[in-house]
Amino acid sequence: MLKSKTFVKKTRSGGVMKIVREHYLRDDIWCGTEGCVECKQEETVLQKDVHIESNLCSFPHYLLPDTNVVLSQIDILEDPLIKNVIILQTVLQEVRHRSAPIYKRLKDILHDKEKHFYTFTNEHHRDTFIEREPGESANDRNDRAIRVSAKWYSDHLKKALSEEEIQIVLLTNDRGNKEKAVESGLLTYKCEEYVKSLIANPELVDRLALTDDDKNEITSSKVLFPEHLPLSRIQAGIKSGAFQQGTFRASRDNYLEATVFVHGEGDQSTEVLIQGLQNLNRSVHQDLVAVEILPQNQWVAPSSVVLQDEGPKEDDATEEVEAEKTLKSAAGGAESRKPTGRVVGIIKRNWRPFCGMLFLSQIKEATRHLFTPADRRIPRIRVETRQAATLAGQRIMVAIDGWPKHSRYPNGHFVRSLGCAGDKDTETEVLLLEHDVPHQDFSQTVLSFLPKMPWSITEEDMAVREDLRHLTVCSVDPPGCTDIDDALHCRDLPNGNQEVGVHIADVSHFIRPGNALDQEAANRGTTVYLTGKRIDMVPELLSSNLCSLRCNVERLAFSCIWEINDKAEIVKTRFTKSVINSKASLTYAEAQMRIDDTNMNDEITKSLRGLNSLAKILKRQRIEKGALTLSSPEVRFHIDSETHDPIDLQTKELKETNSMVEEFMLLANISVAQKIYDEFSECALLRKHPAPPPSNYDILNTAAKSKDLVIHTDTAKALADSLDAAQVDGFPYFNTLLRILATRCMMQAVYFCSGMDSDFHHYGLASPIYTHFTSPIRRYSDIIVHRLLAVAIGADSTYPDLMDKHKQSALCNNLNYRHKMAQYAQRASVAFHTQLFFKNRGIMNEEGFILFVRKNAIIILIPKFGMEGTVFFENKNKPSPKLTFNQEATTLTVEGHTFNMFDKVKVTISLDASNIQHQKIRMSLVEPVILGVSVAPSEDNQPKAKKAKLDG
Amino acid sequence: MAGLELLSDQGYRLDGRKATELRKVQARMGVFAQADGSAYIEQGNTKALAVVYGPHEVRGSRSRTLNDRAVINCQYSMATFSTSERKRRPHGDRKSTEMSLHLKQTFEAAVLTNLYPRSQIDIYVKILQSDGGNYSAGVNAATLAVIDAGIPLRDYVCACTAGFVDETPLTDLCHAEESGGGTSLAMALLPRGGHIALLQMDARLHQDHLETLMEAAMTACKSISKVLDQVVRQHLQEVSALTGE
Amino acid sequence: MTSNKSAVWKTVSMAADMRLPTIRKQVSLSASLSALDGKDLVVPGDVITSDTGFMRGHGTYMDEEKLTASVAGEVERVNKLICVRPLKTRFNGEVGDVVVGRVTEVQQKRWKVETNSRLDSVLLLSSVNLPGGELRRRSAEDELAMRDYLLEGDLISAEVQSVFSDGALSLHTRSLKYGKLGQGVLIQLSPSLIKRQKTHFHNLPCGTSIILGNNGFVWLYPTPGHQDEEAGGYYTSLEPVSLSDREVISRLRNCLLALSAHKVMLYDTSVLYCYESSMPHQIKDILKPEVMEEVVMVTRQKLMEQEG
Repeated sequence: MLKSKTFVKKTRSGGVMKIVREHYLRDDIWCGTEGCVECKQEETVLQKDVHIESNLCSFPHYLLPDTNVVLSQIDILEDPLIKNVIILQTVLQEVRHRSAPIYKRLKDILHDKEKHFYTFTNEHHRDTFIEREPGESANDRNDRAIRVSAKWYSDHLKKALSEEEIQIVLLTNDRGNKEKAVESGLLTYKCEEYVKSLIANPELVDRLALTDDDKNEITSSKVLFPEHLPLSRIQAGIKSGAFQQGTFRASRDNYLEATVFVHGEGDQSTEVLIQGLQNLNRSVHQDLVAVEILPQNQWVAPSSVVLQDEGPKEDDATEEVEAEKTLKSAAGGAESRKPTGRVVGIIKRNWRPFCGMLFLSQIKEATRHLFTPADRRIPRIRVETRQAATLAGQRIMVAIDGWPKHSRYPNGHFVRSLGCAGDKDTETEVLLLEHDVPHQDFSQTVLSFLPKMPWSITEEDMAVREDLRHLTVCSVDPPGCTDIDDALHCRDLPNGNQEVGVHIADVSHFIRPGNALDQEAANRGTTVYLTGKRIDMVPELLSSNLCSLRCNVERLAFSCIWEINDKAEIVKTRFTKSVINSKASLTYAEAQMRIDDTNMNDEITKSLRGLNSLAKILKRQRIEKGALTLSSPEVRFHIDSETHDPIDLQTKELKETNSMVEEFMLLANISVAQKIYDEFSECALLRKHPAPPPSNYDILNTAAKSKDLVIHTDTAKALADSLDAAQVDGFPYFNTLLRILATRCMMQAVYFCSGMDSDFHHYGLASPIYTHFTSPIRRYSDIIVHRLLAVAIGADSTYPDLMDKHKQSALCNNLNYRHKMAQYAQRASVAFHTQLFFKNRGIMNEEGFILFVRKNAIIILIPKFGMEGTVFFENKNKPSPKLTFNQEATTLTVEGHTFNMFDKVKVTISLDASNIQHQKIRMSLVEPVILGVSVAPSEDNQPKAKKAKLDG
Repeated sequence: MAGLELLSDQGYRLDGRKATELRKVQARMGVFAQADGSAYIEQGNTKALAVVYGPHEVRGSRSRTLNDRAVINCQYSMATFSTSERKRRPHGDRKSTEMSLHLKQTFEAAVLTNLYPRSQIDIYVKILQSDGGNYSAGVNAATLAVIDAGIPLRDYVCACTAGFVDETPLTDLCHAEESGGGTSLAMALLPRGGHIALLQMDARLHQDHLETLMEAAMTACKSISKVLDQVVRQHLQEVSALTGE
Repeated sequence: MTSNKSAVWKTVSMAADMRLPTIRKQVSLSASLSALDGKDLVVPGDVITSDTGFMRGHGTYMDEEKLTASVAGEVERVNKLICVRPLKTRFNGEVGDVVVGRVTEVQQKRWKVETNSRLDSVLLLSSVNLPGGELRRRSAEDELAMRDYLLEGDLISAEVQSVFSDGALSLHTRSLKYGKLGQGVLIQLSPSLIKRQKTHFHNLPCGTSIILGNNGFVWLYPTPGHQDEEAGGYYTSLEPVSLSDREVISRLRNCLLALSAHKVMLYDTSVLYCYESSMPHQIKDILKPEVMEEVVMVTRQKLMEQEG
């Protein structure tokens, strides 16, 4: 044990508190260099043979970047070319403090054995530790620490390496630091200089983030934005209440508008509206910003205008003004005004690499181009690249470096290319990346935890499990389903009751807590179903084979078995690990046919009928309790088996058997939820669905009012009843439309840990407690629930993380995030395939209903395809038709024709491929016929005048 | 932003120690002339003073007198200036009362009280500076003071804390580590026989982890005992060298 | 963590003698190692022997058949008996020991006396000399008049008469040299520093008397001019003590403290030598560490010369 007596005093301002901490300096911290004769290290990280060819340094060398280089040029460091880098503890700590995402990336590099990055704990090394001198700022001290360590390294390497001379190259962008470093005899370069000197990889230069010096060149000297306030003033402002702190959320439809979500205590959260470029003040979606609320007389209403930042015009100040004017004129009455503010400073940027496309500069030789992100909430980014020609038409990733106050757009740099735009694989890649869906192939480490094939059930397995192979178990799923995670059985008992069993694939038997497979599954959280593609949560061997409860094979299951009387009341519940042998894998349609076919009377059919009749009673009881039946149109593509292009599109049809299976899954989930909560009141993983705040129902209410109906939204039960009663004669689809609207009023259901929350209620299902148990193949939450249940029945043992409510809670957050992203990705995938479908089909005429009315557009739902789109009534190139918007009745009058909600309209649908980045489904109005607005129903494929368009 | 990183990837803790290393321990015996026994200990920045009076006639209420062994009376207190925020009252609050009780239990297990029927032994522990592991520093100081007073002990009582971060047990937690969340286990051990005199932990810990954590705490206690042993022997030699002639 | 507060020193009219802490000097063991020769030092928990042929004495206990030390100190073997004598301990009285003690309680027929031992000692009414003859019967009146002789807080010198089974001492004052103590200074030291001698009462040549109680309590008082035997030891002179006497007593007190701090055994010679060695210094300076060290060193030398 080597300890030094040196103490360091660290003071934290704020009050007169003085904190004294010990700081031990050690002499057993090694340099990590291969072949070092002085250090007694066991393993080395830095290689003895360093090969990196550079014009500047022709000799072998290690790189030692300072903090700012790491922060700004992490993309460079991530490149496989850059190896043998020393990351000082000082740098690592500063990075950790300043940017969590970059810290994570840096850590990933450090863990990568191939990269040979070494962390040198210089702050605890006897020779490299320095104390802050009086008058020295923390930053200067750290810079000095970096120089001292670099010096130590170069001296050390000279002494310690016998044959080869390896030098240290300090990378810093700070001029002062560089000068001082050169003074003390260190080899120092600016990151840019160094990267440019690399012979092997010229395109690495593109990934360089722009440094301060370059920014000035690019932008005009005109100051476009107000200065951001320094952090200290922001903090003071927030403390005094002058400013509010919140998450910046750019509007999807209007680039000049955004809201800032201010987190308050409890239900005190509010939204602040921000309008206009000046007020947005260089905020980017998801940034943590400080806003100042404007005086009440400057408050405005959120505009219903849809505005897009068109065209890459450098000099578009005039246009902006016009656009802002439109905004202002569009502002509604005083009553709809909302708290409005302006961004005074950025507390924390939340930049990530963005997917999108390059918009080439008109000047041919230019190396500076504008990049348009796929996500419309992100502004265009100015990048510098020499590969523009190659990158045009490709989907690329770009990272933002900064946004100076005299630049209209932020500056960024190229990260990597994803492939050709419009390409199905590329587009899928883009939407997976944009939605942060982990989709890499499973690593070897993960796969190593899979069971060895051929796999069979062993004696030991049988000994601890109940043998249910004799039961007539069958599964009912959508067609083509390969990951069957549930199966059912039903049989009569001698006492007149029925025994119903739900058998769920025993995934937790294969995925043991804590191993790489488990960690990967926990990170992925859920299987993502895209059109024509599935991103598995667990490797295929498990999802489609060992865990899939296919028919006529023996499979391990976790069974929930009830004894149910003829009133569908549960007499007894038990849970057991089991072995089953499914007798049939049916589709919903097949199951339905068996039930309906009176000639069939085999065991399976009888079992199905028993289940079906019980399910009907269960459903009725549930609805009586106030469960909601909501609707959202779901589409299904028929995919061409060879080209994988969609050839037909139809909404999913629901059969009785769908709800039969669903009913028993709900029952199982509720039973399990109760059981695990009883057993583990602190750490049960549950799912809740909070009741929406009354204001959420506004849209629904106005919509119903337009048809003179009243919807009661006080309780779930009232809502369900009034939805049932809401019928309009001769308009059978109205009820569905209303339910679609009601669905949008709902809150997100979320996972949570029972020890961290007190409200367990599931609003939609009208159940006091709920969890997910029935799909462990595709949801990680279910695996955790399985483990909890297994412990509860004594079939398995606990492990530490399972019992830790904080870790559980963190896991829940990840699962909720992944689920949300999976849903978005799914929708995006459907939208993309809809586009593909229409691309192949040309222009089609369809009927639709108006779902919402906006100030300058109507949003239309096409029931046949379950898709919605917007018909615009304004266009830049043409004089706008006369528009009158009635806020109260939500009607829009266009040239004398009034559009109401739920009106039936006819539109033509086609694909607008003019902008390859955002291919759009264009909708144009056909009926009602309005002069100068509507178009003729068209059979030919001629592009129409841009009267109206639609986004898929 | 994120909280403190208690254990770096390189295996160093906030103050540069490795997971199982103890802080620097310095101790002295016989710091007061008037008391029967006294000792002062520094474990890193935690500084504790212990004073022992007795065994003597039971003072105060006679009813506490035990006819078969000595009564041990402990008082734990913290100097008002010992924490970064000044303390209102040095003793008598719940925490101190609890600590006093812990000390009493610890030393009842170690002192051969049956040799002194009807008498009383007072142990006063004062924390002069608090930087985590107050109880352990108190126990270690009190052990030295008891030895200094010539009161017979079964063995040294050595105490140390251990905590758990990212599946790794840390020993001898400093204040930042103690308050950084997670588990903190205090153990008082009679190192030679491996008897645990006191084991105290407030936080939840999974039973799978308990064994490794106890193991770590025990090892730490044994290392502490080596340090204390050195101090005692040094003191013993010094004093007997002086009186020796 | 510490909260550091800038200390504000109040200016007191009397100048306080302040000094910065100095690094503690390590006693050079090599020099005095010879003194350690043949000494068997143990600490609690040390196994002294696993041989079962020995008898367990004080400071030891049997732990799984092994004779183990329970205190830190020196092992003493007397034939088959093994004891460990701790460096410092409360007074373990033996019959015949001279003690100085303070009365803590007056009970029926006895006084309780605090003598720095594990339990308070007992002074029975029947063990004191009462005025009017040694063999006088103790009557009920005497019991009522006990407070006339000794009150709570009074200091006495006495001799151990017997030891009770629980370790408590029974004292007696049936000699004219024992009894209530009058004007003087009490110094409480460690009992292990008092050297056992034939007599513990000394009239020092410097005009002061000293009682070196075996229990570590030392009493300094002006040598009485005439032996007032009539008083039976319960008469206290209230005559003012002269300044010179008080100075001598003060000097002796500081000398005793100095000797004790350096763990020098106390007996008439060592006290006297120390007194002499301290003469070049002012009384109050004796307690300064460097002076103390010098005085003690000179004393030690004198003692060695005398012995050798």
